[in-house]
This record gives sequence, structure tokens and C-alpha cells, in this order.
Amino acid sequence: MIAYTVPLFLRGQVITDDLVPFDARIGASQFQAPDMSKYVERLPLKSPAEMSDLYELSFDEILDVLEALGNALDFDSNTHLQEAYEASLVANVLPAEMMQNSYRILRPLFSRENVTEIADSQVGLDYLNGWVPHKLRDGRELRVRAFGSRVLHIPAGNGGLVSAVTILRSVITRSDVIIKAPSNDPLTAIAIARTLADVAPNHPITKHLAVGYWKGGDLAVEETLYQPHHIEKIVAWGGLASVKHVTRYIQPGLELIALDPKRSATIIGHEAFDDEATMREVARRAATDIGVANQEGCANARVIYLLSGTDADGLAKANRLGELIYRELISLPAIVSTPPRYPNRELLDHLEASRMTEDFYRVIGGEQHEGAIVVSQFDEAVDYSPMLSGRVANIVPVDSIDKVTTAVNAYTQTIGIYPESLKRQLRDTLPLFGAQRLTSLGYACNVAIAAPQDAVEPIRRMCKWVVDEECDPNIVIPLWQLTPA
Amino acid sequence: MTVTEKAARSVADFMDDPISFFGQSYTQMHSIDRGELEALQRQAMAIRFQQHYQRIEMLRKLADRLGITALNEFNDVVPLFFSHTAFKSYPAALIDKRRFDLMTKWLDKLTSYDLSDVDTAGCTGIDDWIDRLDRQTPLEVITSSGTTGTISILPKDKRGAEQGMTLWKICLFQTFGREPTDKELNPSVDVVWPNFANGKLGHLRIANMIKRGFTGGDETRFHALYPGAIDTDLMFLASKMRAAAARGELDRLEVDPALAARKDEFIAMQARQAQDMEAFFNRLTDQLRGQRVFMTSTFHLMYDIAKAGLDRGVRNVFAPDSAILTGGGMKGVALPDDFMDVIKDFLGVDRIQVGYGFSESSTFHWGCSEGRYHVAPWVIPFVLDPDTSEPLPRTGVQTGRAAVYDILLRAHWGGVISGDEVTINWDLQCPCGQTSVAFEPEIMRFSEKQGIEDDRITCAATHEVHNEAVNFMKGLDL
Repeated sequence: MIAYTVPLFLRGQVITDDLVPFDARIGASQFQAPDMSKYVERLPLKSPAEMSDLYELSFDEILDVLEALGNALDFDSNTHLQEAYEASLVANVLPAEMMQNSYRILRPLFSRENVTEIADSQVGLDYLNGWVPHKLRDGRELRVRAFGSRVLHIPAGNGGLVSAVTILRSVITRSDVIIKAPSNDPLTAIAIARTLADVAPNHPITKHLAVGYWKGGDLAVEETLYQPHHIEKIVAWGGLASVKHVTRYIQPGLELIALDPKRSATIIGHEAFDDEATMREVARRAATDIGVANQEGCANARVIYLLSGTDADGLAKANRLGELIYRELISLPAIVSTPPRYPNRELLDHLEASRMTEDFYRVIGGEQHEGAIVVSQFDEAVDYSPMLSGRVANIVPVDSIDKVTTAVNAYTQTIGIYPESLKRQLRDTLPLFGAQRLTSLGYACNVAIAAPQDAVEPIRRMCKWVVDEECDPNIVIPLWQLTPA
Repeated sequence: MTVTEKAARSVADFMDDPISFFGQSYTQMHSIDRGELEALQRQAMAIRFQQHYQRIEMLRKLADRLGITALNEFNDVVPLFFSHTAFKSYPAALIDKRRFDLMTKWLDKLTSYDLSDVDTAGCTGIDDWIDRLDRQTPLEVITSSGTTGTISILPKDKRGAEQGMTLWKICLFQTFGREPTDKELNPSVDVVWPNFANGKLGHLRIANMIKRGFTGGDETRFHALYPGAIDTDLMFLASKMRAAAARGELDRLEVDPALAARKDEFIAMQARQAQDMEAFFNRLTDQLRGQRVFMTSTFHLMYDIAKAGLDRGVRNVFAPDSAILTGGGMKGVALPDDFMDVIKDFLGVDRIQVGYGFSESSTFHWGCSEGRYHVAPWVIPFVLDPDTSEPLPRTGVQTGRAAVYDILLRAHWGGVISGDEVTINWDLQCPCGQTSVAFEPEIMRFSEKQGIEDDRITCAATHEVHNEAVNFMKGLDL
């Protein structure tokens, strides 16, 4: 059964011809999209010179268009968004109320204040809008400008926000952008693009946006498109396999900006046990980091290192906190967290096995697949920790702060920490092991856009930093006058 | 003797020595009336549950938690099924830290035998530990290859291994519909074993039994591809590598010094492999030419050997009445459509047998002339809903996750869920003549369906896993 159609948005034009079927990620359903091998030649710009219209735009005009776009992204009245939401119910693992909420947060993202903050803090308005002068010690006048580039985006599909941020970043950098729609969020980028075409028809910003679907690994499309004469940068989010797959196309002139799959961790200090109220507060924060969007994201808490100690008293504290976290977890509101629609069967089998292995693990909850807390009864994480999802987390009691560095490795993104004093104590060490973002416990999934991501500055990386130098031979010693040193 | 006593005796015979109960006859095993068999199975399951409830702590805890005190109907056992994860629930850190005392304590809770007196003092690794269990207890533990990062440890026993070998013999050399001859009951053949000669993996344990049981006691008639043993500690290292790589922590992987000290030995063993392969092949085509043999391997390996043989102009290599067993699915293996013809052409045998089973159970279910896998009478098959694990009706055609209750299993709990999607037509009387319930020919791993790695125990994986670990050690400054 064809559940929905993913049209091709080609620089303002919506194409629904030459449809071919694809398998959706979940269940037996299928969707259809135009056969990209027939359109791939039309995806990239014919010539980079065509980007010049973007440079005739003032930043004010960019803000105007984005603000109008934001205002039009009103879930209750925007039929494109409603269509995207319907498709996401089939394509995505998250429940309806949560998906709907993810569309309701798009509008404020495009407000003038928000866009300005992102552009100014993550690139610099003066660099985006003109040449920024700077005099070097040798006397030369340097002028630097951040140009947009021809970028291919392969966004992740866990929530529509990623597609929206992708478009926002492209527009403020005056880039020409092609987006490969993710199969688990097939229509959000298209819906935003169509809304853009509604509010700004024939506008340069609309004409520099293309969104379509092809199957990752479709050589007929990728080998044609992923070429330095068509695109300069690829921004790849998502799974290890898909990022690895893209690397084969990377060559001089075609750069990869990898926002790799990541996992996150949590570190809780002994201060959590100062008093009953603090313990409850810590439990609520930890439960939030575990539960948001059903632990599908890379920022969610999974393994929680707890400085409770591993003696009998320490284990009792860890078990008690586990109980409290579990209780908070199942009490989270449905727009934030629900029992998973598709719990991982393999994980549940491991969970049941841990439940039977009482010498080493205490399993709290999980019998109704609603989520669970596994409290290790010694200082090691469960061996299946990479599988933790669907609101299943593992508390690992440890004796000393030296042990918490095991929480961090090359695949680590966020570390939620309690209390702040512990975070300050750890912030110069954890990055050495791979941590990229340290945040207050409870805020792991509350991600700011106006900040570096995955330890890089993706918006700066999307730009081409071009230098104009002016050298006066009377000031900067010319090489033709060089004498032996 | 009263009727009741007679019935009681036959249940005891049926569950404790089913091979004798059926007169060592494959035909009798698969001719028993279904109603009669199911009554026996129900009683046997109820009795075995009570025995295991007393002796196996993990089962007792699970049953207590679920409030199950007795099993009456088949479906009563379903909530008590163990998944493969039950046999890998020990923390891997225990092995790293050489806490084989705690490993023994963990295993003790999974087996009906008492392991409290096992001496693990100074135990140097997994192989050493399992060897000690071999010597000090009735157990004969088998392991998985650990391709997902954890090695399963299944507490099988020596008695089960002996029975397993006898059953292989019965299934391989007898033909349904004919009572066994003396020659079929005591076959004497050369055994062609395209694998390691030894190891703790399930099929390698069986090799040790077959080495004597199939050759008339002449172990020189056992011809293994690699003469050595697959090393469990090396396999554990490979599984740790996979787990560490998945976590992005390969840099933190520490190699046990005892294992590191054997680096050169492993490298030499790896370097000899091409030579071993050549020697093995020559033995096949020269020494064993025209002989009646027993050979078993996966489709994939069987095809590779056959192809290499045909390329050298060798065909019809064995006697036509040889016993050839294969299986193991087609996972990740691209074979040409005519692969079976290639294999047959090279081997020159009348029939190639296939079997289906999984290591958490004890029994192989043999393929019939119709291609169905007939379930051995001491095994109660279930088809479960793949998502909820609820049992599907025992009528009509049902497709779902295979699970079994294996009455023959005494050393560990016999209720296990597989990772396989199977179909059973419960109402079918198979045209092959066997009365037993059968799995339809199409069997697929759920993980294969979803395209993910799993921990199935195949002959192919062992070799690969071994090499992976040796290559890793080569790159380390040990």
C-alpha cells in the first residue's frame, strides 16, 4: 500500500511525476517519490554564477522572508505541515502527540530575533554581509567575507527540527542547497520548502532550494550529483553506515561536514543525596534527559554514572535513586515522553536476562515495555549499553571521580551533569576523552541552535571564508625586493 | 502392573531415555500417534518443570515472579521461555577480571547441577575455566562465537553430548519407513570435518563425540581442515573488539597478558591455514576418494570446496551412500542458483541431508523428502507472535518466532525462544509419511530480515572471528 508521496521540490517547482515506490522504515507500508535518476541532472545549479542573486539580498530581506516563512509555518492552518505530520505517523517511531508538537515548535525558530542571534553568534553578521577589514602586523589590509556554498544536506529524520535548522542555516549563509529527505521524516523539509514558495514565490531564496528523496546508496543519483563541479560540501547527519557511505565521494573540492551519530551520558555527584528534595529534583532531571522523545535522540541520557560509592550504602542509594527516576520517567507528560511504540525486542530480552541476574543488576520497571532503569550493582555499565533506547537507562554506581571518564569516548556528544560544581571540576578533562557538550542535568535534550554542534561550528564550516588582501609595496615588503636574510 | 503404573513408567522412559523408548528407530520416533505423543509430552513437561524448578535458580525466580507453580497445558510454559540473552547475562567484566568464581556462581543459577564445589583458583581464562568444569562436573559447556560482542555460555552436559551424537547417527544413517539395521546403528565411516578439530563451540564439541562414535573408534579416520582448537579466549577478545568498536573505545581495549603471550603461536596458526587447506583438499581427493564418509558444513563452505574440486577436474569424489549434512542458512552468502548441483556433482552422493536447530535447544530436526524439518518427539514446538511472544494457535498455518520446550534437556532449562521466523502447518499430515509436526522449509533469522548482525553459531563465523582477533594482536605492541 502506498501511504504517501514525497514530491520533488525543485527550486520552486513541485514535481510528482515518474513516481517509483520505496519501502518505508517501519512496517509493510510503502511511499512513492519521483524517480530521481530522471531528475538528478536538474538538481544542481547549472553554473555557480547563478548564486549571484543571493548577494543582491540585504540581510534584512533575508530576515523578512524567514519571518514570513515562520509565520506561515502555523500547524493549524498550514496544509503542507499537516500532510507532513500525517506521513510522519507512518514513517516515524514517535507517537502522534509528540510529532504534532515537533511541528508546533518550528514557528519561533524563524523569528527575526532568533535568526539574528544564530547568524551573529555562529558566523558574524558583518562577515555574512560584507568584507570585514583587518590590518595584519606586516601592514597588509585583509578583508574577509563568509560566502555561501553549494551544499548537499543529508539530515537526520528524528524530528522535523533538523530539516528546519538545515534550511535556516543554508539561507543565512546565502548557500545553494539540496536536501536529501530522510525516509523517517520524509515530508517536513518539503513542507517547509513549499511554504517558502507560497510566501516568497520566485524569490532567490526559494530558487536556491531543492528537496527530494532518493535511496541512500543509489549510485545512479549519487555518482552524478556528488561531484565537486556540482556541490562543494556535504553536511551528513545520521547513522554510522550512512555517514561512512558518503565518505566514498569525498575528494579535493568536495568536503564532508559530518554530524555523526553520537551517544550521550550523565554524571551525577554525591550531592544528589544531600536531602530528600534534592534527590527528587535530580530524579526528575535525569528522567527528563532519559525520556525526551522516547530516547530516540543522540543527546538523551543512557548510561548514568553515579558517585554514590559501591559499598552497601552506595548501592542502596543508587537503587533508591533508580526507583525515583523510574517513577519520574513514567510520569513525564505525553508530549515529552511516552512508552515507545516500537520497543527494541533484543533490548527487552537483555533487560529480562538482567532481571534474572540479581547479583549484578537491579531492574526497575520494564515489564510493560514502558521504560526501565537498570541499576548495576558494581561499577560497570551493562554490556548492551549501546542498545539502550525506548526509555531504558542504566545507573552505574562508582566510587571515585576517576571512573567517570569511562562515560566518555569518541562517540560521546552530550554529558548532563549534576551539580554545577562537579561540571566545573570535569569540564577541562572530559573534552580530552571526547565529550562535546556539557550541560546542566535535565537539559540534555534542550539543545540551543546558536551554539557549536558536535564540537564543530557547522554554519561557519558551511561558509567559504574568502580573503581579499591589499598590499601597498611601500608598507608590505615585496618579494621582488627581498634581500638575503 | 496396573495400567496407571505402566503409563507412569512409559513417561519416565520417554523423558529420560527417549532414544531407547523409540528403540533407536528414526521411523518409530516419527510414527507415534500425535494424540498419544502430546499426552506424553504434557506429562513429561510437567515433571521436568518440577525438577528444574527445584534445581535451577533462575527458572525458580522467574516462575515465582510470574506465580507459576505447575505446567499443565503446552502454552503454560510460554511465559517461562528463556531468550538467548539469559545465557549471556553475566557481566563481561568478570572475565576480564578473571572472576571465574563469580562466573561459576552465575552459571550455577542456570544449571540443574550443583557447581558450588568447583575450584576456580588460579583459573587463567575461559578455556581453562570450561576445562575445569569438564573435569569437575557433569557439565560440558558450549559457547557461541560472540559476533555481537558477548559470548553465550550454555551449560550442556556430557550425557546430552553423548545423546546428541547418537541422535545424529540415527538421523543420518537411517531412512524413514525402514527399521534400522545393525550396520545403520553402528556405522563406520571416515569423517570429513571442514573446520577446526576442537573447541568449545557447540558443533566442535560434537566433533569430539563423532571422532570416536562414527569411525568405529579409529580416530585417524577423522579428517579436520585445521588440526588445532579454536581458542575461546581469542574468541572472547574478538567479541570484545566488536563491542569496543561499537562504543568507539577500541583504544581502551586491553589484551589479557596470558593471551598476549601466545601471540606468536596464534600468528603461526593463522599463517599455516593456506597450507592446512591444501593438505585437507589433497586428503579428500586422494586418500578418501571413493570412500563412504560423513561430511558436514555450511552450504557456503561446501560450495567453495566443491567448486575448487571441480576446477581441478575432480568429481564424484565419495561413495554414493555417504552421509552429507548441511544447513546454516544463506546469510550474507551469494551463491549461484545451481550451487546445489555443483555440490552434488563434486561429492557424487545420492542424498544431501539438511537439519534445523539452535544451540539453546539440544535437538536437530531433520529435513524430510518434502523439505520440511520434522520435530523430534521430545521437543514441543511453538510459534510465537514475533512482537509480543504470545503463542499463536496450534491449528492451521502459523508463521512467527520459533520456540521449543525440549524435554531432553536436563542440564539447563529446556524452554527457549529462537531468533528464527518459522512456519508450521499444524493440520498437515506430511506426504513423506512422518506423523510428526514439521517446520516448513523456509526458515529465516529475524535479524537477517532486518539486516542486522547477530550471534548465530556458524562454522563460517568461527574462522573469521579467530582471524579478526589475531589480526588485531598483530597490530599491537605486546
